[in-house]
Amino acid sequence: MVVERNVEKEVEVEYARLRIPFGPVHPALKEPVSLRVSVRGEEVIDVDMVLGHVHRGIEALAEGRNLIQTLYLIERICGICSHSHTTCFIQALEEIGGIAPSERALYLRTLIFEMERIHSHLLLLGVMAYEIGFDTLFMFIWHVREKILDLFEKITGNRIHHAMNTIGGVRWNLTPQIASEINSCMKEMEKAVKYVRDIFTDGTVEKRICGLGVLDYSEALKLCVVGPTARGSGVDIDVRRDHPYAAYNDLKGNFSVITRRDGDVHARIEVRVLEIFESINIIRAILEKLPEGPIRPEENVLRLMRRIPEGEAVSLVEAPRGELFYFVKTDGKGGLRRLKVRTPTFSNLIGLKSMLLGCEIADIPVIVASIDPCLSCTNRVTIVDQRSGESKVVSLDALRRVVREK
Amino acid sequence: MLYETLRSLFRRPVTVEYITKPGRMVPVPERFRGKLTYDRDACIGCMLCVRVCPGGVITSAEERKVAFNISRCILCGQCAEICPKGAIKMSTQFEIVTFDKNGLIVK
Amino acid sequence: MNAAIALIISFPAVLLISLLFEGIDRKLHARMQKRIGPPVIQPFYDLIKLFNKGRVIPLTASVRVFEIMPMIAAAVSLLGASILLSGILFGLSMIGDLIVVMYLLAMSSIALMVGGSASGNPYSAIGFSRKMSMMIAYEVPMFIAVISVAFGSTPSLAIDRIIKFQANLGLPLAASRPSMSLAAAAFLLCMPAASSAIPFDIPEAKTEIIYGLLVEYCGPYLALAKIAKAASNFALTLLASIVFLYIPSLLWENAPLNSGISLSLCLTTALLIMFTTMTVPRTILARLKIGQALKFYWMVPLTLSLSSIILSAAGL
Repeated sequence: MVVERNVEKEVEVEYARLRIPFGPVHPALKEPVSLRVSVRGEEVIDVDMVLGHVHRGIEALAEGRNLIQTLYLIERICGICSHSHTTCFIQALEEIGGIAPSERALYLRTLIFEMERIHSHLLLLGVMAYEIGFDTLFMFIWHVREKILDLFEKITGNRIHHAMNTIGGVRWNLTPQIASEINSCMKEMEKAVKYVRDIFTDGTVEKRICGLGVLDYSEALKLCVVGPTARGSGVDIDVRRDHPYAAYNDLKGNFSVITRRDGDVHARIEVRVLEIFESINIIRAILEKLPEGPIRPEENVLRLMRRIPEGEAVSLVEAPRGELFYFVKTDGKGGLRRLKVRTPTFSNLIGLKSMLLGCEIADIPVIVASIDPCLSCTNRVTIVDQRSGESKVVSLDALRRVVREK
Repeated sequence: MLYETLRSLFRRPVTVEYITKPGRMVPVPERFRGKLTYDRDACIGCMLCVRVCPGGVITSAEERKVAFNISRCILCGQCAEICPKGAIKMSTQFEIVTFDKNGLIVK
Repeated sequence: MNAAIALIISFPAVLLISLLFEGIDRKLHARMQKRIGPPVIQPFYDLIKLFNKGRVIPLTASVRVFEIMPMIAAAVSLLGASILLSGILFGLSMIGDLIVVMYLLAMSSIALMVGGSASGNPYSAIGFSRKMSMMIAYEVPMFIAVISVAFGSTPSLAIDRIIKFQANLGLPLAASRPSMSLAAAAFLLCMPAASSAIPFDIPEAKTEIIYGLLVEYCGPYLALAKIAKAASNFALTLLASIVFLYIPSLLWENAPLNSGISLSLCLTTALLIMFTTMTVPRTILARLKIGQALKFYWMVPLTLSLSSIILSAAGL
């Protein structure tokens, strides 16, 4: 993001103006981003953003590995939406290779997808409570989230990095016992989330989140924000409905896209809370409709990998934070020629500046958290220098040099 | 909120103490992916696991067997899945941390 | 001479009790959040750890002020609490010690403010301005409530006179007259802000300005700041318990002043007051913004304390 220099602003010398660095290390941030905030009294008058603190060079790493190794690398782009990343990547591979996963595999993918959405949204709601200084709500919400994580552990063997997807299918099947456990968990979840919703409409909480960080409809369209951030501003987009993938085509009748018109922090939170209910509906529908059949091809993955020819594909999924985009180009020998990832946070961060202007210092963490930033997803090769307004691309060789020096 | 908090004051807390004694730890589900175990006799040296391992954990060793450097393992379980003889398994042991780096190399 | 010895004896006792109070507060807070929580003596572990750590002083700080202020803060708040405690233990008192205690407690916050802002950190600067506004907000109703008490009791500003007054009356002061109940309500409403617990921890907001004034303090200095905070919280709760809610007065006619039973009753009351005015609000409420907090304090406790002083002037 390049922010234009404002010449007048630099000439202006004001006694009461204070420049505070918000981040890269700050208790309100889960991941490093640096906001340089200028304040007058308690009011924010200017914001600069510096990214690139957690750049890991994943795209370049992927180009030196084979497809199966890349699959697990991709999963580690993000700890929260790991399944979205692998699904998006695998979809592109399956398109290039002409491999069609079975119906049951698609349904299971969707199941994990929606469970991941619940756990991601609950995480954000908890963080949100923490930002407004409501530690008890934070503990309560994360207690609810723990149930979903236990389910993940039962289904896939790990809490966060599920390693569910494989080429042409999924790796773990659903037993009837686990299915009934999911059902009872969803019942508890519905009750718990209703309680959370009631607290978020409670007096002191509402005082902190209503009318803050407004991003109106036209601004949201102009800045191309995605996901719950866009839906909170009234932009009616959702990849699950607009470009159905996995099993969403069959499940179209089981969920609706939630939008709110206010565009403030409260609207974005409300969208997320209501989306949890939609996800619960989808999961119930999946458990009902789940078709029988194999979950993966008979062949082993290495043979499948070798069958994927040279080609390129584009893939889209709706991650919990919004639209996730992959461009994959294979070299026909089981490797990758190019991988491009555009994560939802990258689109949403741009909206942050117009939300932050004019708010108070106390609101900064609340607003930053309300777009649910996932910065280690976002930080990739380009580094933009905000102060001089120029952007430079760091080459892989330069990066390797830096790494070796360290 | 007040009611709920006051009620939880007299209930058992949700969190549990971390107990390191074996047998008293929190139970893990059966699909849990923990530390790798390697059955050297069953291994036929096909080297499929070396090719799928994303972390560079597995290297070929003498006598057409493999060696594992667990400190690099990301617990994806792909090697256990691809092994044709079932020589590699994921145990349910989740305490992998140790003071001895060489103890993490399984042969 | 006697007074000095009594104060010196009660210094370690105050330290011990105030840290225990903090530990109990943390344990209850954790249990209300469904957590196991730290052991009750966790504050002692914290202090031992902090005192063993190195001293780091930022380059931008003015060193002397930065170093001395935590010591002053800890010393004055311990002194304030020991005056109260030795008042109950040994029946020691002097003219106007109520004002002295209030002054010492305000002094401890001010010392931390000055020390923190001497660090040169922009977050401390914001914390300083916030703490300043907060102090204006809560100190005014608090002082007015105390003055109203002084008028309404004997009239006197000596703590032992107020205690004797309650003992003779056979009622805690808060229940004696409407003006006194209003004063007690105003004082108790000011307690969360004075202890900077969560709805009013605006000057130290962790997620907003990274502990504000304390951001640059570490090691022994942070330990001293923690002692200052714990001791002043303890002093506030004890003050409220002996001035407004002197429970022993209910039990006996002319209750003995310096007995162990009345001391333990006072401490129990103090603990209850801490639970209701610090632990519960910080568990069930979200942090307010500075404007909202100011509005609340100017609206409710100030009105209460002003009406209390008017009522007590009218002899009610």
